[in-house]
Formats: sequence, C-alpha cells, structure tokens
Amino acid sequence: MRRANVGLFMRHFLKNAFKTKVIYVLLGIFMLLTAYAAVSGITNYSQQNAIRLEHQRKARQSWEANPDKHPHRMAHFGSFAFRMKQPLSMFEYGIESFTGNAVFLEAHRQNSVNFSDAGFSTGTLRFGELSMAMLLQLVLPLILFFLGFSVVVSERENGTLKILLSQGAQWKEILLGKALGLFVVALLFFAPIVLVTMLFLVFGDIPTDIGDSWQRFLVLFLGHVLFLLVLSVLSIVVSTTSRSAKNALLTLLGIWLLMVVLVPKTAQAVGNALYPTPSKLSFQSAVERDVIKKGDSHNPDDPYFNRLKDSVLTVHGVDSVTQLPFNYGGFVMREGEKTSAHLYKKHHDSLLNIYEKQNNVSRYTAVLNPFVAVKNISMAFTGTDFKGYVDFQDQAETYRYQLAQEMNELQMEYIGARVKNSEGKVNVVRQEHWEEFPDFEHRMQLLQSSVKEASLGIFSLLGWVLFSFLGLGYLSKKAKAL
Amino acid sequence: MYKLLFLQFLRSRAVMASLVLTLVLGAISIGIGHQFLSQKRAAIDQVESYQKSHIERNVALHKDDLGLLMYYLKFAFVNNPDNLSGLSIGQSDVNPNIQRITIKNLEGQRYDTDLVNPMNLQSGNLDLSFVLIYIFPLLIIVFTFNLLSEETETGTWRLVSVQTPSKLKYLLLKLSVRVILIYMVLGILLAGAKIVLSIPFDVNFMMVVLLSVCYVAFWFALCFFVINFNRNSSFNALLLLASWLVLLILLPAGINAYVTNRYPVPEALSTMISQRDGYHTKWDTDKRETLQKFYEHYPQFEAFGYPTDGFNWIWYYAMQQMGDDDSAQDTKALRQKMREREAASKKLSAFLPNMHLQLALNELAGTSLDEQLNFLDATSDFHEELRLFFYPKIFTELSGDMIDWAKFTPKYSYSEMNDKKRMHVIWPLLTVTLVILLCCFAIGRRLH
Repeated sequence: MRRANVGLFMRHFLKNAFKTKVIYVLLGIFMLLTAYAAVSGITNYSQQNAIRLEHQRKARQSWEANPDKHPHRMAHFGSFAFRMKQPLSMFEYGIESFTGNAVFLEAHRQNSVNFSDAGFSTGTLRFGELSMAMLLQLVLPLILFFLGFSVVVSERENGTLKILLSQGAQWKEILLGKALGLFVVALLFFAPIVLVTMLFLVFGDIPTDIGDSWQRFLVLFLGHVLFLLVLSVLSIVVSTTSRSAKNALLTLLGIWLLMVVLVPKTAQAVGNALYPTPSKLSFQSAVERDVIKKGDSHNPDDPYFNRLKDSVLTVHGVDSVTQLPFNYGGFVMREGEKTSAHLYKKHHDSLLNIYEKQNNVSRYTAVLNPFVAVKNISMAFTGTDFKGYVDFQDQAETYRYQLAQEMNELQMEYIGARVKNSEGKVNVVRQEHWEEFPDFEHRMQLLQSSVKEASLGIFSLLGWVLFSFLGLGYLSKKAKAL
Repeated sequence: MYKLLFLQFLRSRAVMASLVLTLVLGAISIGIGHQFLSQKRAAIDQVESYQKSHIERNVALHKDDLGLLMYYLKFAFVNNPDNLSGLSIGQSDVNPNIQRITIKNLEGQRYDTDLVNPMNLQSGNLDLSFVLIYIFPLLIIVFTFNLLSEETETGTWRLVSVQTPSKLKYLLLKLSVRVILIYMVLGILLAGAKIVLSIPFDVNFMMVVLLSVCYVAFWFALCFFVINFNRNSSFNALLLLASWLVLLILLPAGINAYVTNRYPVPEALSTMISQRDGYHTKWDTDKRETLQKFYEHYPQFEAFGYPTDGFNWIWYYAMQQMGDDDSAQDTKALRQKMREREAASKKLSAFLPNMHLQLALNELAGTSLDEQLNFLDATSDFHEELRLFFYPKIFTELSGDMIDWAKFTPKYSYSEMNDKKRMHVIWPLLTVTLVILLCCFAIGRRLH
C-alpha cells in the first residue's frame, strides 16, 4: 500500500464531493441547525442554572430568617436541594429533561425529586431534543451515509473502477482513501460544534470550581471522532459490497434506523419488561412495613420503643424520662430517623438496582451498536446520565439526614427534659444555629466515576474502529471490480 | 392485471421483509401497551385494598384524636386509564395517575412524581402510536420511492407508455396495490390493538382510525408528489428520507427547544418554596392573625372562635391552609405557563402532521398534558371536598369512631371530551393531506 495513492484517492473524493451542490446545501443546513442547537443549549444551561441558583438562595434566605424556635419545627421547615447543570450539558441533554431537579428535604420523609421538564411537556419532547449531541449522533451519520453510499458502487457501475485497478491502484488504497475522504468531510461538519463548545468553555459562564471540564471535553471530542471514523468506514464498506447504489442506500438507511431508533428503544423496552418497576405504593408500603416491624415511634405502646426507653432509663439510673439529662423526644426522633433512613435506603437501593438492570440491557448493546457506545460516553462525560441523577439524589438524601439529625441533636441538648410541646416562643433554640448549618450545595460528579461509567462505551468504540479497519482489509481482498 | 401487479410487488424480498418487520413491531408495540395498562391497573387494585387497611390501622391507633388521625390519613384519587392509552401512552408514563393525598396543604403533595426510570422515559415508549407515526412513513417510502423511476431505469416505461391509454391511471393502479397493502397492515394492527387492549368500539376509537387513515394518506400523497418529479430512484429516496428526517425529528425537536426556552417554568420552584414558607412560618407568628386569615377564607367556620392558648387543631389546619393560600399566586402563574406551553405546541403542531397526530392521539387517549392538568384540578376539588368534610369534625373534636370510614374508598376522576374538540382534532391533518393531493393532481396531469 502506498501512502501517496491513499492521499490521492482521498483528495479525489473531496474534490468530487465539493463539486456537487448537495454538500453545500447539507453543510449550510447543518450549520444553521448547529447554531440553533448551540444557542438553545447555552440558553437552557444558563437559564436553568440561574433559576435554580436563585431559588436555592431564596430558600436559604427564608431558612436563615427563622427566629428562635424549637428545633423540631426547623426539622420540618426543611430545606431544598436544587440540581445544578454541568457546563457541558449545553452540548448533550441526556436524561436531564426527564429527571426532576428540585426536592424538598424534611425530617422523617424522603420526598420525590419533582419538576422535570418532561412533566411540563406537551408530548413534543418525545420526538427528541435538538442538541449539538443529537446533531452529531443522529443527523450527521445520516448525512455521511447520504454522501458515502454511492462512492464505490457507482464507480463500479460506470466502469471507472475497472480502469483504476488495471492502472495499478490497489483495492486497499482505494477503499482507505475514500473512507478517509469521507472522514475529512465528517470532521468538517464536526468542526463548528467543537469550536462552539471550546468557545463556551473559555468565555461561558462556568463556575470556577469545575476544573475538569476540559478533560471531559477531550474525551467527548475523541469519542465522537472515533464514532465518525467508524461510520465513514462503514459507508464505504456497504458501498463496496452492494450490488447497486440504490441497494447501498437502502442498506445504510436500514442500519441507521436500527442503530439509532429501533435497537435502543426496543432494548430499553425489553429491559423494562424483564425487570418491571414496582408501583410507588408497593415501594412506599414496603418501607412503611419494615419501619413498623422495627418499631413504630408514633405508637405509644410500641414494644421496640418501650424497650429502648427502659434501657435508656436504666443506663442513666433514673425512673422517668423527665429526669434524663437530655430531651427524650429528641432522642426518640434521632433513633427513629436512623432506622427509617436506613430502611428507606435499603429499599431505594434495590429500586435503583432494578433500574440499573433495565438500563444495562440497552447499555450492553453498545458492544454491537456504536451509536449506543458514543451516547453512553457523551452522557457520562457531560454529567447528564443516570449516574449523575442518582448521585444528586444521594447528595440530597445525605443532606436531609444530616439536617434532621442536627435538629434532633439540638433538641436533645437545648430543650428541657420535660418539654413535649414545640410551638410558640417558649422552649426555643437560638437562631444562630440555623445559619451555622451549611446550605445544600450540589457537587458535580467526579471525573473517575464518569470514566468508569463510560468505559464499556469507550472500549466498544475502540473495538469498532479496529473491527472496521480489519473489515476494510478483508474486503480489499474479496471485493470485485465488476 | 391487478393480480399480476400484486404478485410482482410481493415477489421482492425487501418488500416482504419490511412488511413482516412492521407487523412484528406493531405486535410488540401492542404488547407493550398491554403491559403498560396492566401495570397501571394492578397499581389501582393495590391502592383499593391498601387504603382499607391503611385507614383501619390508623383509626385504631389515633381514633381519640381526629386531628392527629387526619394528619396521617391518605386518600387515593385515581385517574383511571382509558383502554386507548395502551395505544398512545403519551405523557401518562411520566405523570402519576394515582394521587394519595392528606387534607394538609395541597401544593406540597400534588406534584409528587411516580417511580420512573428516567432512561425509560428518554428512550420513549414503543407503543402503537410510535409505529404508526415513525415506521409507517418509512414503509410507505420504501414501497413507493421507485414506483415510476424503476420503470424508467429498467426500460419498461416506454413499453408501458405505448400500451396504456393513460400513464397516470397505470401509475395510480400500481400505487393502489401499495395503498391496499399498507391499509391492510394498518387494519390488522388496529384490529389487533382493539382486541388485545379491549378498546370499546366508540367515537374515540373511530377517531383514532380516521386519524390514522388520514396520516397514511398524507404520506402516500407526499410520496406520490415526489415521484411525479420523474427523477431517478436515488433522488426520490434521498428527498423522501430527508423529508422524513425533517418532519419527524428535526422540526419537532426544534419546536420543543423553542417552547422550553420560550416558556421556562421557574414558577414551579417558587410554588414549592412559597407553600413551605406559607405554612411553616406561621408557627412563630401571631395565632390570632393566622386564624383570622383562615376565617376570611372559610367564614362558615368562624363560630369555632380564636383559641390561642397552646396547640390546637384549628390553628394547625389553619396554618396548613396558609401554605396553599400564600402560594396561590405562584400556582396560578404556573398553571398559566403550562396552558401557554400547551397552546403554543398545539398551534405549531397544526402544521406538522406527525406532531399533530401524536398530540391528537394523546388527547383522545387521555394521555395529554391537558388531561394531566385537568386531573390536577380534579385533585384540588377532591382535596377541598375532604377538607370541608373533615374540618368541622376535627374542630368539634369528634371521635374517630363516629365517622363511617367504609365510604372512603379510592375515588375516581372522570373527564369527557366534547365533540367540538374532536372535530378540532381532525381538521389540520385533513387539510394538509388534501392540499398535497391537489398538488399531486396538478403535477400528475402532465403524465397524460
């Protein structure tokens, strides 16, 4: 194989491609779409973050504005956790529109994460979202197939292929040259998206504490480059093996449809059918049942809490709770919170486990489907994947638990042993304690955890690159000129 | 001749393969719809039996303190799914159809989400509406893109043009083979859905059939329009697929991005905060003032007076009520935003047959955003009803034993769509199809 010849075929492909009007039209439309996607991605990012930050601030303000009061009132006053968007979510929306982004945190209760965009959508959302990632992963492959389907097969149909081969060109050189030519075109479409994203990372409104955006960007960029390389080779392979240009086009379209619509959708449906999600009621009542089994702090005759009381009294050598050196109500609540949070977590983890199993069915198709592979990489590195959402939920729950327990501790320490009532201006704790308790702050996921999440996608994409070049080599021995 | 045309068409392996694929996908989608419906039904059955034991358990524990009992008791309000929703799942996978609410403040409860895997939501449901909206056009494109060009390319067109009196008639004849086959597939799938999902044979189902027929006609008209340009097969395929991409993916996604950015809903978050503050800050403010506000809302309860010493349930529920009253402004704004979103989407989708069909099917199946808003409204009414029933009983410190708990079974919400809406649903699709058909005939005449 001679490098010069590969270069020659590549340049020839490019020259041909830019001779037709079609490519300028496609490029023009794609640029417009990119511009629209970039503007709406950036608007959405800054609008949403501004809204959420503003509300986090408002919620905090009114938390701190509370006067001296009984800590249990503050435990119920509660706080909020708002989810912040990762800067690169302007590139890829992932599942963000389908997850809630705000949750009310209070004692004894794990509220659901509410207010997803999907809940406020009219159903148009289900047609997909116009993001730069969508253009790259869904539209650009189609464009590459359009530009590549006839490249080899039409040369065979009009006989020029025969001439080339008889003049000493090798199949390998022809195929590789054309594949690289198509790849260069792909990069041309890709370039503005890269540029916009880089400009956003430099000039955009990005919190300074997110230092790993550039690393994330790099993996994102490389992942898409590999994806486009695989698609370029694939188009040439299909073009070479097809009997007619029309067949090549239909085959490529079939592949596209399977790759981006049917397989991902069916795989998710299969996962859902194999591992059905329990109803909310059965989830909640399972938690409730376990909590009651362990001990019902609301039942005055509950054996567990009566035993607890007896043992506490024995330890402190007193015979009634009013003689204890701390507020017994706070103590019961602390123990109750510990139990219920633990049991809730147990059930919640097994629910997440079901979700993971559902998602794995489609995740593992990445091995066969480069689209799923690049999608996984893209979602993981922009923090818009399932893990990112679960991570937020965990952070919110941890904060909720700390808040509830802090208030219980305050009650035990500062509220008199005899006090049973929590209203009004008596039996209160100083207001400074509210300010002392830190606000919720959503921390972005660690880079390592994204790497781990996307590793299957990365490996399968690398495998695909290897496989497609091997395929090209194999084909160059088998391909027919007539 | 007709029989020959059929045989000739069906001989192609690609045609058979795509027909079978569509039928299989259709069958899967009906299965998914069935599974969806049975999961929802199972959850409703569960809530029926659970509510009884839930009430019994709590009444036994707290019957002497009705105020405390009502703090715990949850009452289920159910939006019974229409059988049609198995055919067009729409928004009903993200919006819960069972609300379990207490008489405490409403705003904190009614937006609670169901347990859903967001990845499932993102990939979307593979229901029959998906097959109809995405797959049928592709099938139509594959069947028709070379209707004319194939004859030119294989050299048979000249033969045909000498032998038939009208070329247009011949083309239409060829087209009708495809039309009949595709309507047969559609008929099989709709009949299958009707039987498997036990959909009643009513006006709504007829509308679904009519809309589907129109939508298929629209795509046939569009394809026929394109093939009449008399270009080669590849050009036709490219142009038609590009239309599919633009109509089904790019435009809807663009519209969605527009609506989302044009009508952001910060009100949702403000409502959340204002309802919390509305209730919780009342613990520290003057009790008399809280009670006064409460009696302004409900003058009929003023006779219960102004007890301000220590804790009492009148004051407690007055505080809860303030959570709703103080956030009323935000709630109204949120509501307004949602209506605006709905209106904007509807207006824009009138020009896009696929989006229009999706929204129309969702509306008919009761799985639209509109339906969800109505359900939220009905939930408020149900909540209000409970409050008005229990408030006086709590305030007079009635014993829990005095209430007939057996009648508090889960309640169902009902909504009926009126005929005007139904007519509104059909017009845009019909108009677009007719316009394109007219264009076809304008062009088609040249073929004579």
